[in-house]
Amino acid sequence: MDRKLRRLLGKIAVLIALVVGALFAGLPVLWMLSSSFKLNTDIFAYPPQLIPPNPTLEAYTAIFTDPVKVRFFLNSYFISLSVTVLTLLVAVLAAYALSRFEFPFKRVLNVVIISVQAVPPITLLIPYFGLIMFLGLYNTYPGLILTYMVFTLPYAIIMMTGYFNTLPRELDEAVKVDGGSSWTALWRVLVPISVPGLVSVGIYTFMIAWNEYLFALTLTKTPEMRTVPIGIQLLMGQHSYEWNQMMSMSILGCIPILLLFLFFQRYFIGGMTAGAVKN
Amino acid sequence: MSTTSLPVTGADSLGSPEPRSGKPAARLADARRALVPYGYLTPTMVLLVVLMVIPIVMVIGYSLMDNVIMKKNPQFVGFKHYIDILTSESFWTAVTNTLFFTGVSVIAHLLIGLAFAMMLNTGLIGTRTKAIFRTIYVLPWLFTVAIIAVLWRLLLEPNGVVNFLLTASHLTGTEVEWLSSPETALFAVTFINIWAGYPFYMTSLLAGLQGIPADYYEAAQVDGANAWQRFTAITIPQLKPIIISMALLDFIWTTQQFALIWMTTGGGPLGTTEMLSTFTYKLAFSKYQFGTASASAVIVLVISMVLAFFYVRAQKARD
Amino acid sequence: MRKKYLAGIAAMAAAALAMTGCTGGGTAPSASNEGPVTLEFAQWWEPELPANSLRSLMDKFESENPGIKVKLISGPYASTKEQVVAGAAAGTMSDVVGLDGAWVNDFVKQGSLANLTDLMKSANFDESQLAAQVKLDGSTWMIPVANFVYPMFVNDDLLKKAGVAAVPTNRTEFAAAAAAVTKTGKNTSGWVLPLDTATPNGIQNDVMSWVWASGGSMLKDGKPYLVGNTEVKDTMTFIKGMYDAGSIAKGSFTMKEQDKVNEFTNGRVGMMIDSLAHVNLIREENKDLKFSVAAIPSADGYSGKRGMPYASWGIGVANNSKHQAEAFKLVSFLMGKDVNATLCNSAHAFPGNTQAVPDFVNSDPIFKQAFEIYQAGTATNEFTGLPVAEDLMRSFDEQFQKYLAGKQSADDALAASQSAWEKAFSG
Repeated sequence: MDRKLRRLLGKIAVLIALVVGALFAGLPVLWMLSSSFKLNTDIFAYPPQLIPPNPTLEAYTAIFTDPVKVRFFLNSYFISLSVTVLTLLVAVLAAYALSRFEFPFKRVLNVVIISVQAVPPITLLIPYFGLIMFLGLYNTYPGLILTYMVFTLPYAIIMMTGYFNTLPRELDEAVKVDGGSSWTALWRVLVPISVPGLVSVGIYTFMIAWNEYLFALTLTKTPEMRTVPIGIQLLMGQHSYEWNQMMSMSILGCIPILLLFLFFQRYFIGGMTAGAVKN
Repeated sequence: MSTTSLPVTGADSLGSPEPRSGKPAARLADARRALVPYGYLTPTMVLLVVLMVIPIVMVIGYSLMDNVIMKKNPQFVGFKHYIDILTSESFWTAVTNTLFFTGVSVIAHLLIGLAFAMMLNTGLIGTRTKAIFRTIYVLPWLFTVAIIAVLWRLLLEPNGVVNFLLTASHLTGTEVEWLSSPETALFAVTFINIWAGYPFYMTSLLAGLQGIPADYYEAAQVDGANAWQRFTAITIPQLKPIIISMALLDFIWTTQQFALIWMTTGGGPLGTTEMLSTFTYKLAFSKYQFGTASASAVIVLVISMVLAFFYVRAQKARD
Repeated sequence: MRKKYLAGIAAMAAAALAMTGCTGGGTAPSASNEGPVTLEFAQWWEPELPANSLRSLMDKFESENPGIKVKLISGPYASTKEQVVAGAAAGTMSDVVGLDGAWVNDFVKQGSLANLTDLMKSANFDESQLAAQVKLDGSTWMIPVANFVYPMFVNDDLLKKAGVAAVPTNRTEFAAAAAAVTKTGKNTSGWVLPLDTATPNGIQNDVMSWVWASGGSMLKDGKPYLVGNTEVKDTMTFIKGMYDAGSIAKGSFTMKEQDKVNEFTNGRVGMMIDSLAHVNLIREENKDLKFSVAAIPSADGYSGKRGMPYASWGIGVANNSKHQAEAFKLVSFLMGKDVNATLCNSAHAFPGNTQAVPDFVNSDPIFKQAFEIYQAGTATNEFTGLPVAEDLMRSFDEQFQKYLAGKQSADDALAASQSAWEKAFSG
């Protein structure tokens, strides 16, 4: 077969597969988007209609005109950003130690870091709640931020350790030869070339903090401290749901994350990578 | 995150002991150097010990007590709760369901994530087209579990969109009760979980693919390897470290998936979607047996520790 | 460039810490007797009521009681229970808490609720104005503030279309009407039955309600009475008959109360048993739907008083509250004739104060009708005050689903439920 023709056929096959995949991934979200512009009752119309028969911005105005709900968003941004930055900071230090040093109990520490995530959060809820009260962190930002850091650190450490392991050791040796400390080697050499890894771990961390519900609810109590997932859950009443507002709230919630993703993706897709550095 | 197979170990690390001299000053320097890794680990250890290890130890304590939390003076009962749990039929049903749910989810996450990552990495498609699809593919990841559960309940309702599309295209004759029929419920919740979780793999694998040096492929092409051979001989081995790490983490996370199941099926119908997480939740907050619930949690913890141990050992062996 | 990175990260971290430092949330009031007292009132009602209606009542309370401030703490209904348990375990429960009758027994066992009988005594509160009190061991722990009764809702147009002339009053008529409505269209069903096990209150509202409507009971001397109980068994076989005939809307086994209402609102179900709280919602969402309410049909030939299920917004005081006297002031304020009427008016609930008459009862034909049914029958909810009430509903639900699915007989289902219930009662 002609090389050009084969390429074209391959291209068509990939495009078809991409479209099928996009339907799988995107259709439910499209339905959510359409529902957010519907009246509650139209969401349940049969046959279902993708184009809202009575399009309305009611659900969106209900959110924007309610300062309490806007505050949910601000809280979520602030908490998630803080968690991301602090997790990366702490995880980089730990990953550096695990990647570049040999020391007693390293393996034990690894096992602990991996398996602490294995306890069902729901059983931790009550002792954890007591602990946070004891530490005076109940209904505060640090309470939630530190909690989420504990949830995200294991993953961040494991991934960053793996990432550092791929970076050639000669890099930090060079710093040492120049008289620099391991601290300098970490921050001057390793971290700057690890930006793709940091971004990838950071996005994941952000997501966890952004979407967490159970602890956010338990560790806060005033409306000024609540986050978006609680806001969504508050729309699920005892007797009825505000379907369209729930949909619009999650659409609004996902737009900034999507922008963040779009902005940062160049770093870890086709950007500077460990492989490139090595060559 | 990108990983290559270059053997990088701690053996020649910066902190490795240098030839010792007998002088006290040098010994002090040695001791200081030995402490360096602990310095880097201090923030992590403080956080994990205070906020994770302490509550876990408390849960272990609860698991040995009766009437804990609900009464002022709990009694020590030893391993009674563990025996109760391990001999309870519903526990083993929950274990079986959890293994199915988790196993299928992890495998499907990996396959779909890898397939999408490969498609988005191909040179056949323009960068802009790829960017659009990349954005669409990452969408399921952006939503909180509560909304994912609500959305899929709507879609999978007997009168919902999925049934409408299926009957309209004559794929099924009547409406299927996806979430409320004992035959389909477990598959339905597993499917939802797969939908919600694959982007995590996709983005990580996509990043991993960027890290594979292009000359590996060029060399293979010169040797006459076809696409499939290049995939199995280069791509998979290169991605293996990421795949194993992610599969382990995903396995641990998926066994704990609670909200999604609770909000779609609640463990029903007829217990067909009862998982360890819903089983434990009901013990704690419906029967108020926190001792038994804690025992169930500790069993999960022990299993995960064993898994983690093998994982760490395998990593060591690879190095 | 690198320095910039580091500086940026450091600055963000510093900002994060600074911001967290100065924005601590509401702290508990000091226990001193002098300064103003701040009461925390935890409930799920505020998000369910028209905006600001609960807050304005609190403002009224504050102006009547200088020196007491009320802070409303609102959470989602589905998570209220866990929050109360966790709060009670840590001794930080809010002073006044909204309660569901199904939780009371467990909270009393945990020692988290204050004894309201004592509080009523020391406040010289007139008990006779209360429509109901939830008692355990001779003392009151919860007072129902607002009651949502569950009559039968009927889609008038669908019944007419199906050729059903009169609203069913007994089970035979009901089953016939349900079958007839089901025949009118591909996506219509006669009845809708939510049996989701995550929130198993369908057992209380949609299943046991049939037993109570015919004067039956699931208890004998306060103990489980399922095996050999013909009233419960008859109800089960009656429902199974409709289930097998296909008269019940699909998806029962994981259907929630909210889904039930959606099916009805969209005109796909002929009849449902549902809370009056939904009347306005249904009207808002489907202006063209013609519907009415009626008493739940009884067993054929039954002519006694009909029980009608209800759910309450109950209220209680935390045992760990440092301001129990003030907390009870808030309780008695909410139970007062006028305030209670106002609150119930916004919630479209029946009042917990016997003398309170909310306006909607007279101004609105559907509520007027419902109020008449309510007064002709007796409000019944046998699950209120039972130990692990939610778990009782769930274990019955699981056995009932197995029976409906044809995996076991009614007697087996009853026997299995009976033993589960007995275990819960003794535990």
